[in-house]
Amino acid sequence: MSLIVDNKSAVTQNLLEQLQKGSGKIAFIPDAEIISAIRHLENKGIPNNKHEDYKYCNIEAVLRKEFKSVEQSFNELTNADIAPLKLEEAINLVVVNGNYNESLSEKIIVKGLTVKSLKDISSSQKTLLSSQAKSDTDALIALNTAFSNNGLFLDMEKGNVIPMPIHVIYVNSGNTEIVVNTRNFIHIQANAEVTLVESFFNTGSSKVFSNFVSEKFVGENAKLNCFTFQNEGPLSYSVNTNQVKVNKYSTYSNTTTTLGGELVRNNHNVELAASNCEVHLNGLFITKGTQQVDNHTLIDHQMPNCESNELYKGIAKDKSVGTFNGKIFVRKDAQKTNAYQSSKNILMSDDATINTKPQLEIYADDVKCSHGTSTGKIDTEALFYLKARGIGEESARKLLLQAFAQELIDKIEIPSLQERVLHLFEKTL
Amino acid sequence: MISIKNLHASIGEKEILRGINLEVKAGEVHAIMGPNGSGKSTLSSVLAGREDYDVTEGEVTFNGKNLLDLSPEDRAREGLFLAFQYPVEIPGVSNINFLRTALNEIRAYHGQEEMPAKDFLALVKDKSKLVELDSKLASRSVNEGFSGGEKKRNEIFQMAMLNPKLAILDETDSGLDIDALRIVASGVNKLKSKDNATILITHYQRLLDYIVPDFVHILYKGRIVKSGGKELALELEAKGYDEIKKEFEIAD
Amino acid sequence: MANEILEEHIQNEYKWGFTTDIAADEAPKGLNEDIIRFISAKKNEPEWMLEFRLKAFRNWLNMVEPQWAHVHYQKPNFQDIIYYSAPKPKKELASLDEVDPELLKTFEKLGISIDEQKRLTGVQSNIAVDIVFDSVSVKTTFKETLAEKGIIFCSFSEAVQEHPELVKKYMGMAVPPTDNFYAALNSAVFTDGSFCYIPKGVRSPMELSTYFRINASGTGQFERTLIIADEDSYVSYLEGCTAPQRDENQLHAAVVEIITHKNAEVKYSTVQNWYPGDKEGKGGIFNFVTKRGICLEDNSKISWTQVETGSAVTWKYPSVILKGNNSVGEFYSVAVTNNYQQADTGTKMIHIGKNTRSTIISKGISAGFSNNSYRGLVQIKKGASNARNFSQCDSLLMGDKCGAHTFPYIEIKDKSAVVEHEATTSKIGEDQLFYCKQRGIDNEKAIGLIVNGYCKEVLNKLPMEFAVEAQKLLAISLEGSVG
Repeated sequence: MSLIVDNKSAVTQNLLEQLQKGSGKIAFIPDAEIISAIRHLENKGIPNNKHEDYKYCNIEAVLRKEFKSVEQSFNELTNADIAPLKLEEAINLVVVNGNYNESLSEKIIVKGLTVKSLKDISSSQKTLLSSQAKSDTDALIALNTAFSNNGLFLDMEKGNVIPMPIHVIYVNSGNTEIVVNTRNFIHIQANAEVTLVESFFNTGSSKVFSNFVSEKFVGENAKLNCFTFQNEGPLSYSVNTNQVKVNKYSTYSNTTTTLGGELVRNNHNVELAASNCEVHLNGLFITKGTQQVDNHTLIDHQMPNCESNELYKGIAKDKSVGTFNGKIFVRKDAQKTNAYQSSKNILMSDDATINTKPQLEIYADDVKCSHGTSTGKIDTEALFYLKARGIGEESARKLLLQAFAQELIDKIEIPSLQERVLHLFEKTL
Repeated sequence: MISIKNLHASIGEKEILRGINLEVKAGEVHAIMGPNGSGKSTLSSVLAGREDYDVTEGEVTFNGKNLLDLSPEDRAREGLFLAFQYPVEIPGVSNINFLRTALNEIRAYHGQEEMPAKDFLALVKDKSKLVELDSKLASRSVNEGFSGGEKKRNEIFQMAMLNPKLAILDETDSGLDIDALRIVASGVNKLKSKDNATILITHYQRLLDYIVPDFVHILYKGRIVKSGGKELALELEAKGYDEIKKEFEIAD
Repeated sequence: MANEILEEHIQNEYKWGFTTDIAADEAPKGLNEDIIRFISAKKNEPEWMLEFRLKAFRNWLNMVEPQWAHVHYQKPNFQDIIYYSAPKPKKELASLDEVDPELLKTFEKLGISIDEQKRLTGVQSNIAVDIVFDSVSVKTTFKETLAEKGIIFCSFSEAVQEHPELVKKYMGMAVPPTDNFYAALNSAVFTDGSFCYIPKGVRSPMELSTYFRINASGTGQFERTLIIADEDSYVSYLEGCTAPQRDENQLHAAVVEIITHKNAEVKYSTVQNWYPGDKEGKGGIFNFVTKRGICLEDNSKISWTQVETGSAVTWKYPSVILKGNNSVGEFYSVAVTNNYQQADTGTKMIHIGKNTRSTIISKGISAGFSNNSYRGLVQIKKGASNARNFSQCDSLLMGDKCGAHTFPYIEIKDKSAVVEHEATTSKIGEDQLFYCKQRGIDNEKAIGLIVNGYCKEVLNKLPMEFAVEAQKLLAISLEGSVG
C-alpha cells in the first residue's frame, strides 16, 4: 500500500523538479493560487487509474513511462512552419510552446477585440483569471497553474460581433521530451458574438506532454461558438481542460474533432451559472493503433430554464481505446432544465475498447433529462444492402462510417476546417 | 343540472372567460361552438377543475352543490365527466385497472360497495361494444399507443362505464374520420337519457349532424354571444365565423 | 392537506416495526478471532469452515470500507456489534409445535405462515420457506416434499453438516471471501442462511423462499445464501426481509451466491423492506449486500428481480457473470427512497462467453429528502463475441428536495458486441394526475396507480404473491410524498 503512495509522489516530485529548473516564471497568476496549486500537486499527486475521474486514463503512468527525461529544449518556428496550419477564412493567431507569438500571428483590427499575451494584461483584466480553473479541483489544472507560460488573452467588448472566425494555432515543438503548460483566457462580454477555432499540433521530433487549460467566460446574451481540432500526431500526449462559465441568455457551443495524438484527454466543464442559457457540446473521434481518446464532460445546471445538448461519436480501430464520461448535474434551483446527452460508438476491431460512463445527478424535479449510449459494430444489414448493390466491402464500410460521422462533420460550419477534418477522417478510415 | 352564472376565469394575467351564463337541465343536449381561441376548452377545463385557471368571478351550481368548491375528483364523483380533447397516456396502467379504480372510488363516494369483478368484467364487455372498441384495447395501457380515433372512442367507453350525469365532450370530433365519428356519435346517442345531460364543445357543425342538440350557443371572446336551436349551427356553417366576429367584435 | 397526509403517513409508517420478546443466546459484542471461533464452535463446524472464516477475517482486517457509493452515513463501529444472536431455546425442532409460540406470533404478524398444513390446504400457492431470525435459521418448511425430488433446501448450518462436499465446492465461487469489505466481513462471521441445491433435470415444484428478520437490538445480521442449479434444472427463489423499528442503525451484510450449470435457470426475487429509519432519518438498517451469480455453463440463465423500499442506506449490486456460452443475465429493479433514505444500487453484467445476453431495467423513485442512485457496470470481455446488452434506467422525482442519479459504466472490448443504454429522469405528469382525478381517483391513489404503471415492467417479473405485496409496499412507501 505504502509503496504505491511513494511511487506516485515520486513521479510528481520528479516532474516538479524538472519543470522548476527550466521555468522563468512570469507572474500573471496570483502567488496564492500558485502556492495552492503546488500544495495540491504535492498532496494528491498526478492522478493514476485509481482516481475515479482518470479510471480509463492513467496520466501518472504516461508521465512515468514516456517522460523519463524532460529537458525542455524547445524549437523556434518560422512562418513557413505555420503556413500549412492556417485556415484561409480566419484570422490566424499562433501560440508556440505555450507562448503567444505575435510576430507569427496575423494582424487584427476588429472593433472591440483585444488579443495579447497574458503577461501584458492589466490588473483589472486579471480579476477573473484562474477563478474558473481552480487548482484544488484537478491536478492537471494545478500543474498548469504552477507552470504555465505566457499564454493568450482574448477579450471581446460588449455588443461587438466578429465578422470572421479567429483561429488559434497551438503548436508545440521540442528537441527533447518536453512538457508544455499552455493557458488562455477568453472573455466574451455581454451581447458580443465570437467564433473561435482552436487547433493543436506538434511539429517537433520529440515527445510532448501538452497540458492545456482554457478559461472561457460568456457574458449576458453573448454567443461563443467554438471548434476544437486535435491532430497532434503519435508523439503527443495531451490533456485539454476547458473551464467554461456562461451567463444569462448566452449560448456556448463547442465541436471537438480528435484525429491524432497518442493520448488525448479532454475535460470540458461548463457551468451554467445563470438562467436561460444554452450549451451544446459535440465530439467526434476516430482512433487507430494504440491511441487513447478520453472525453470527459460536466454540464453543471445551476439555474432554471437552461438547455444543454451533448452528442459524442467515436470509432475505435486496431488496439485503440475510446472513452466517453459525461455528467449532467442538475442542482436544486435548476428547475425546467432540459438536458440531453448521447454517446454512440463503433468498434472496428476485437482489440479495441470503448468505455462509456454517462451520468445523471439530479436534484430538481421539474426537469427533462435523458441520456443514451450505444456501442456496436457496423450495421451488417446496411453493409449487405450496399454490397448487394455492387459496392465493394471496403468502400461500403467507409461509406457507412462516414454516414455515422456526418452528423458531426456537418456541425463544423467553417468550410476549410470541415474540409481538413473530412480529408483526415477519410484517410484514417 | 348545471347552472353557470357570470363565470370569469383567467390564466395568469390573461382573462379568457368573461362572464359565461348557461343553464343545462337533465335530458338536454347543448352544443357550444366558437372559433379557435374563444374559450371553449377553457370552459371545459374550468368546469372539470384544472388548476391552471383562476376563477375570478361568478358561480357554478351542479346538482345543488357549489361546483367550484369541489376538488376535481369530487366533481367527477358527483357525476361530471370530461371527455378530453387530448386524452393523456399513462404508461403501464391498464385501461381495465384504471377504470375499475375509478368506478370503485365513485361507488365508495356514494356509499356503495365495490363492484364484484365478475359484474365489472361483464360491464366492460357490454360497454366496449357500444363504441366498437376492440377488447384488446381494454387490457392495454391507458391511451398508450392508441390512434387518435381509438383515444376518442376510449373516452366514450369510459363515459359509458362511469355513467355520468353531465358529460362534457371537448372537441371529441376533432381528428376523427367519418366512420369513427359515426361510432362515437352513436355511442353518445345511446347513452343519452332523460336523467343526464350532454355539453358538446365543437368547432364544426359536422358532429351535430349525428348528435342533434336541443340548444346551440356561440362562444366568442369568452362570452356566449348568441343562443338558439339547432338551426343556429346550420346558419353558422353557412356564414362562417367571420360573420360572427364582425357582429360581435369587442375590444380586448 | 399536505400536513394531514403526512400525519397519516407517520401513523402508517413501517407496520413491521414490532419487536419480539424472545430470550436470545448472544455472543459478546465485538469482533476478533475468538468471536469467530465462538461462532464456529456454536455451530459445531468442521475445521475447513473455521479456516474459511479466519482467512476471510484476516483479509478483512486489511480492507477499507468502500467510499465510492453516492451515500453518506456514520460508519458502523464494527466492535460494537453482536455477531451472533440466536433465539433460545436452541434445540433441534422436531415439529412445528416445538417452535416458540412468540416466534410463531411474529411470523403471523409478518404474514408468513410456517404452518405447512395451512399452506397445503389453503388457497395460497405452495411456497417452501426458510426463515432466518436474527442470525439463525429457525424453520424450513416443506423439506420432505422437496426431498422427494432430490432438492436440498435447508439452513446453511445444516448444509455444512449434511452436505459438506457441496458447500466446500461452491461456497465463495461467485463471491470470493476477498471480493469486497462487506463480503469479507460476512465470510468471517456469517451465522446462518439458506442453502439450496436443485439436482439435474429437476424443476422445483414450488417456489423456495427465505424470510429474513433482524430482531435483537445491537445485532447485525450476516446471513449467506447459496443456490446451486445443476444441469437442466429450474428454481424460482424469493427473499423477503423486515426488521423492528429502532433508533440505532443496524447492519445487514449478506452474501448471496447463485451457480447455474448447463441449461439451468434460477430466478431470484427480493422484496426488501428493512426498517428505513423514521421520518427524521434516525435509525434504520444499513443494507450492504453482495449478490452475485455465475452462469457457469452454456445456455444457463440467472434473473434478479428486486423491489427495494426499505433500509436507511442500501449498497447492493446483484450481478451476473456470464461465463457459459449463450447464457443470459437479467436485472429488474424498482428502488424507492423516501424521507432520508439513501440507495446506491444497480448491477454488474460481466460477459465472458459467446452469444451472452443481458437486460437491465431499473426504475428509481425518489421522494422526500432521499437520494436514489443507479450504478451499474456492463463489461464485454474480449472474445465474448455477439454479446448483447440493453439497459434502461429511469428515474422519477417526487418533490424538489430529493435526488435521482444514474452512474452506468460500460466497458467494451469486443467489436461484435451491441450495447445500448438509455436513461431518463422525469416527474409524475400533472396532466396524468388531472386525468385520473377527472375520473374520480384521488391524489394518493392516482400516484399509486401511476407509479405502479411506471414500475410495471419490473413488477411483472415477480411471482404473483410477491407482486401484490410489492405493489402495496410501493404505495405505503410513497404515502404523503406528494401533497
